[in-house]
Amino acid sequence: MYRAKIKMLAVMLTLAGHGMNAGADSLPDGVQVHGFASQAVIGTSHNNFFGATENKASLGFTELGANISWRLNPSLQLSAQAVSRRAGETDNGSPRLDHATLDYLDYTIHASENARYGVYLGKIKNPYGLYNETRDVAFTRPGILLPQSIYLDRVRNFVLSSPGLAVYGDKTLAIGNLSYQFGVIRPDTSDRETEGTFLGMDRPGTIKSDASYIGRILLEPGNGHFKLALTGVSMRAHYQPEVSDTLHAGNIHFDAWVFSGQYNAENWVFTSEYAQNRINAQNFGAFFPNHSATGSSYYVQGTYQLTPGWSALARYDVTYRDKNDKDGQAFSAMTGVPPYSRFAKDLAAGLSYRLGNNWLLRGEFHHVDGTAWLPYSDNPNPAVTTRHWNMWLFQAAYRF
Amino acid sequence: MRYSHTFMIRTARIMARILLCLCLLGVAKAWAVMIIANPHVSATTLSQNALRAMFAVKLLQWPDSQPVRVFVLPDDNPLHRAFCKEALDVYPYQLRQTWDRLVYSGTGQAPTEVGSEQEMLKRVATTPGALGYARKVKPGDRVRILSGDNPGRINSAE
Repeated sequence: MYRAKIKMLAVMLTLAGHGMNAGADSLPDGVQVHGFASQAVIGTSHNNFFGATENKASLGFTELGANISWRLNPSLQLSAQAVSRRAGETDNGSPRLDHATLDYLDYTIHASENARYGVYLGKIKNPYGLYNETRDVAFTRPGILLPQSIYLDRVRNFVLSSPGLAVYGDKTLAIGNLSYQFGVIRPDTSDRETEGTFLGMDRPGTIKSDASYIGRILLEPGNGHFKLALTGVSMRAHYQPEVSDTLHAGNIHFDAWVFSGQYNAENWVFTSEYAQNRINAQNFGAFFPNHSATGSSYYVQGTYQLTPGWSALARYDVTYRDKNDKDGQAFSAMTGVPPYSRFAKDLAAGLSYRLGNNWLLRGEFHHVDGTAWLPYSDNPNPAVTTRHWNMWLFQAAYRF
Repeated sequence: MRYSHTFMIRTARIMARILLCLCLLGVAKAWAVMIIANPHVSATTLSQNALRAMFAVKLLQWPDSQPVRVFVLPDDNPLHRAFCKEALDVYPYQLRQTWDRLVYSGTGQAPTEVGSEQEMLKRVATTPGALGYARKVKPGDRVRILSGDNPGRINSAE
């Protein structure tokens, strides 16, 4: 079933690519089609990441997607994107709609050269930090993997896009361009990785999200040579227990702040982001005591363009699940889970080579202390994980 | 004393020459990339903010409410690089990031890419609402050269 759907998507992608190569003129006026594909090879010294990677090479990470957009007039655009993603045990490759946006610039307000605003309606890509909205396309990421501290791939579906309504706009100020987006959304909390992140493991019942809020303000001084952003998220959800569930119908509050900064020079880009999030789980009954933790994360990253084709990446990425229990000892004493599952310090280096605008080849090495962002599904037994581990990845990516 | 006097005159002459060269270079640089539009577009000037907003695909209409159709050369084309630096003051990869965000978040569309300056001139001449750039415009090219709000920066002759 899934295989047939993936095949269909691949055929669609190829046809669309062929159509684009034949010239954009073959498409109706105002219609654009784009697509992307990537395949990675991943190996680890210990632990599993996106498949059975321990002392093996796994092909468990594949991304395939296509989108179509229709610009009806300068004020109105419709668009949809379908994506199939395989990521070890965390994502099985079943195609899904990643965004279906109705982008609508208000007619009553003049979209002038210095200010614009409008409304998005549909399944909207979340404005979270600097990379979230385009993270499904390998080309837009600084490396094969985004810094897992802030762009946790385990909960990608929860963070990437959500059905809702958002207002957006931008204004040219003397200091630089200021843009903003605020939305009311219902995040996708259905998958077991998201459940694991909030409730420690895959539970019999399901987490249902309630009305949640996300907003970002981005200031770009010096024509975007500098970028400064502040993101705020406030998510509310409730648990729907199964008949024979040990958990009660509890509530989850998740709040996060992200501070982002970037400097863009001709040949190098320096990026750093800091995030703080608070998970508060209440009223789940005796088997899951009220629990609240404030996590903190940051990374510093530099990319350097060595030649027009080659570029290098270096990054140091740190995350603590509970900033008042950074080494995880208190949590471990209470739960028996290894303390190193509460933090991760990742030192990564990578090289990438671009062939024209459509092809990208990458290699990346990670040396990690801690397992805080390891996928639960790939590592069901935390007791057999290893604190210090290495990971290497290669990836080929295509887009049109 | 005499020696140092001659030396000073010589130095002053050299400096004047360097200054002249720099001025000429500055003028040549300012005139290197021209902003061009379809001749049926009623605008004759374009502010730098409007130009930036149009190439970032944030402003999709001309003041006369015609839809804007933006044409660009490939990211690594020398004229595109010069245009990004001189007219917009951004690097080509930044513009590409802006377009990627629009395309992959479903909130906009990328400009149309053309293969050469000749094709750029042809497409801008024949597409209603077209906006592009060129280094050389011949009398028969049937495009309008737009002037900027920076006096003397962009050619205003049609």
